[in-house]
Amino acid sequence: MKSRLCYIFPIGLFIALFLDGSLSNVFAGNLFKYPYSSVLHLDLLWIVFAVFLDDDDALPVGIWAAFVGLVYDWYFTGIFGVYLIALPLVVYLSRLMKPWLDLNFLTLLMVYIIDITITEAFAYVWYVIGKVVTNNLADFAVYTLGPTIAVNLAIFVILYYPVRQLYLRVN
Amino acid sequence: MQKFFSNRKLVIVIILLIISFGLMSVSVAVRNKKSTPPLIQQFGNDVAGAVDRVIAWPVNGLQSASNSVSDLLNTYQENQKLKKQVDQLAQAKVNAQTTAAENKQLRKELKLNSSLSSYTTVSASVIARTPSSWMNQLVISKGATSGIKKNMSVMSETGLIGRVVEVNQTNSKVELISSTSSNADKFAIQITNSSGKTVNGIVSGYDKSTGYLEMGSVTSSVKIKKGDKVVTSGLGGVTPKGLYIGTVASVKQDDYGLASEVEIKPAADLSDLTVVTVAEK
Repeated sequence: MKSRLCYIFPIGLFIALFLDGSLSNVFAGNLFKYPYSSVLHLDLLWIVFAVFLDDDDALPVGIWAAFVGLVYDWYFTGIFGVYLIALPLVVYLSRLMKPWLDLNFLTLLMVYIIDITITEAFAYVWYVIGKVVTNNLADFAVYTLGPTIAVNLAIFVILYYPVRQLYLRVN
Repeated sequence: MQKFFSNRKLVIVIILLIISFGLMSVSVAVRNKKSTPPLIQQFGNDVAGAVDRVIAWPVNGLQSASNSVSDLLNTYQENQKLKKQVDQLAQAKVNAQTTAAENKQLRKELKLNSSLSSYTTVSASVIARTPSSWMNQLVISKGATSGIKKNMSVMSETGLIGRVVEVNQTNSKVELISSTSSNADKFAIQITNSSGKTVNGIVSGYDKSTGYLEMGSVTSSVKIKKGDKVVTSGLGGVTPKGLYIGTVASVKQDDYGLASEVEIKPAADLSDLTVVTVAEK
């Protein structure tokens, strides 16, 4: 059965992607304050909700994730093949975890932390190999991954109930 | 878990990684060499930029609304201070106008049509900032159709902020001077001291912890003091002369004691950018 989610999911995904960009600019003073830099991941939040709240796995989340990853590489960084692979990878791993988990606030939070870590670590490793960045691993963990998780968890806590309600209503 | 690394999946994973790596290498190479990205990439960027504009519009609106509220709160004090400055400015403006007119006339007599310091500007608004900790990039709302080319200098209202790294038809990407990942911040600059003597050099780095630009390997004997003005020198081609960068924050000996290193405090606030100006030579 096709639900309205088929249309709402991709639209929301792209809104989340572009919101990442413009909110990063508006709050640049807070998000990228030396030495910390935190990366907004509203798109990842949307993907995690889609994977876990779509009960019969009917949504092509993986394909949309690859597409939105491609747009991210294309439009924001200009370096292809990083988020293009990282985002579908996250969808795949989340789907692997799904059968073992009881769906509630805390488990979803945990999965979200794991997903952010995987995405950021993947991007970091890839950029290091491509010589786009030259930071060392400790700097990455302390000054990028830590603040990123903190900021995104705060956003997650705020958005959990509204987004869940939205998904349950349209599903 | 046994099935996770079955043969077929392993092959798929490896192929995906190779594709991803190949794409990355090619795009990094293209980014460094070509003046504009391939047509298909430009097209994608233009489409994404058009959608982004729709989404960035309400966000930027909210930002400017909150800015105006905070502006309103300290209007009184600011007004007092500004009134004093306005009187002095009127004088300076008249002075500058006469000098500019005279300059134009003298240039005509010398048949010097274009000099290092003549440039035209294109204003653009900032649509987005790359949500990544590795790239200090902005996407701005003007592109090749407005005459923007790669490597042009970009300024905020107060000073130089970076350089255009990728040009599409209707938008382009700007790398900020705070990014240490590439050579985007190698601007040719000039420091003028209070007695009118100048020191030329190149911005050699950015100190993230202080937010200061560094100009290394200065061997000139000209005395530079804190507060001396730093502008672009116009040497090396693409950057016009006289774009304001900031003031000298400190001068110290480098690690070997042979040359000195100058720290420059940028005039522009890199974390609060809504409108930028691209300087076109």
